[in-house]
Amino acid sequence: MIRHLFTLIWNRKKSNFLMITEIFFSFIVLFGVLSLAFFYLDNYRKPLGFEYDRVWVMNMRWNQEKPEEVRNIQYRLKQQLKSNPEVAQVALAASNIPYTMNTSNTGFNYNNRFTMADWFTVDKDFAEVMQVDVAAGRWFTTEDNAAGTKAIIINQALRNEIFPDENPVGKVIREKDNPDRKIVGVVEIFRQKGEYSSDKPGYFEYLNTDYASNGTAGGTLDNLMIRVKPGVTRAFEEKLMKQASQIAQGWTIEIKTMNEMRTSDNKITLIPLVIFSVVCGFLILNVALGLFGVLWYNINRRISEIGLRRAVGAASGQVYRQFIGEVLVLATFGIIIGIIIALQFPLLQVFGVQTGVYVAAILGSVLVIYLLAAGCAAYPSQQAASITPATALHEE
Amino acid sequence: MNNYTLNPLATNNASVDTPPHHQKTVIKLTDIEKVYQTKTIETVALHNINIAIRKGEFVSIMGPSGCGKSTLLNIMGLLDEPSSGTIEIDGASVKSYSDKVLARLRNEKIGFVFQSYHLINDLSVVDNVELPLLYRQLSGSDRRKRALAALEKVGLSARTKHFPNQLSGGQRQRVAIARALAGQPEIILADEPTGNLDSVMGNEIMDILLRLNEEEQTTIVMVTHDELMAKKTERLIRLFDGSQVS
Repeated sequence: MIRHLFTLIWNRKKSNFLMITEIFFSFIVLFGVLSLAFFYLDNYRKPLGFEYDRVWVMNMRWNQEKPEEVRNIQYRLKQQLKSNPEVAQVALAASNIPYTMNTSNTGFNYNNRFTMADWFTVDKDFAEVMQVDVAAGRWFTTEDNAAGTKAIIINQALRNEIFPDENPVGKVIREKDNPDRKIVGVVEIFRQKGEYSSDKPGYFEYLNTDYASNGTAGGTLDNLMIRVKPGVTRAFEEKLMKQASQIAQGWTIEIKTMNEMRTSDNKITLIPLVIFSVVCGFLILNVALGLFGVLWYNINRRISEIGLRRAVGAASGQVYRQFIGEVLVLATFGIIIGIIIALQFPLLQVFGVQTGVYVAAILGSVLVIYLLAAGCAAYPSQQAASITPATALHEE
Repeated sequence: MNNYTLNPLATNNASVDTPPHHQKTVIKLTDIEKVYQTKTIETVALHNINIAIRKGEFVSIMGPSGCGKSTLLNIMGLLDEPSSGTIEIDGASVKSYSDKVLARLRNEKIGFVFQSYHLINDLSVVDNVELPLLYRQLSGSDRRKRALAALEKVGLSARTKHFPNQLSGGQRQRVAIARALAGQPEIILADEPTGNLDSVMGNEIMDILLRLNEEEQTTIVMVTHDELMAKKTERLIRLFDGSQVS
């Protein structure tokens, strides 16, 4: 019977062409949406590499002060904030902290191996504030203040790209026009862009923000990261703001919890998925209505065929299954073309997404299209099955 | 083929019309009534029909348009239910049979030939002939063998890959007969099989039916408007306004 259905649909390919095309496009759009959804889901299940809970971010925008003055104010502010009993630790970090739109990346070269890598400038207290775990080597310490080279800590993704078969700790990266950088440690993962982002190569670069020990050296950083102790409420924000406005007079200070930043950033990340889903939803609705309409039309056009099939021995259940089967076969033609296109993504490693994500998206799309086709076919097929053979044979 | 005579004993009373020279009754209709009812009108299509068709008989049914010939054939073929009365196939009443059992009976015991052929235009000749076999537990190769054998019987072996719209009316009807034969049914019910054909092609089709009846003892019940065709059959049942008149 399956062969018969394939023969029937194949022989009617001209009249079914539009429907097959529509199913194909639905499959491709659905595949795109599901790839994105599974990509996000896959990332969501992976560790972030840091703890955002109970982290508050004080963003600072200063005026015309000289860098040295800014560093002095930031240093004093950090000490002041740290002295609060509600505060567990405070760190200074550059603008590209987690859950911001900011990105800093650069080429990373070693022994003719090259990759692009995100870089995060932080001070020695960052790991404690963000609960970043070091997998190999160590985190930054005061001994890095005196070193002639810049201390950096790479993540595992960067290690995999540049040092696949060797221990990177202790290696010095020498690049023209850049100061030497020495790898002092490796962190497992650090996904600055949050739960839905992939794990990309990156490294932390140490900046000595200890004005007392470093004086005028070093740069300025935009954010004070504050880990508060458990049970601290938003009421504490007022106290922090007061202290900040006293020390950093005239600066624009904004305090947010990282939880708030996370919620806001995740919403922005999910916007494309929501837009694609809506578009896909409309397309699928269109296909559903099309399938329903075509099948309804087909059944009315094929009443005498239904009568014939009943006459030659088809029970009403078989007529029902036949029409459902025809729609599934119709869907199969669209799906086969769709799969051929979709398979190019994992084969050509487009967007660098894991093969498993594409495979899951293909399987999901196949399932959805088949369910859609079967769902749309159910009622018209039931109508076809309920036609009495004598009535059906009377139709020409 | 010239031995067939009209049965002069056909009656319109309640007794069952039985031919003398065949053994087993394959179809028996007793007190069949068929009434089509709408909210406002009640139309009696068949009234007090009592017919027995014996194995190997070739029976024709005649009557003016609208007298209930096709309705009677549909009831015999289990395609339609009577409003009252009993249908027996091989001595068993089909009244309590489910749709599934009725479908199986139609598939195994009855072959249909229609005036307008009822071929599926998107299927090749051989695929059309295979149609009844799709509803049996047969392998693809068995189905194909049987379909080809049936096509050979009607002289269409050379047209197996053609599509219905590439054939003449007579050829289409031969395909329809081959389709009816493919399932090797005991009974063929033919509803005006020559109605759409010219006399030459009509005679060709009639010859095939007569040959099947004679050589393979296939029971045939044929609705026709054509007295000449009806004369070639063993027995004639005449209907008028839904009742048997001879």
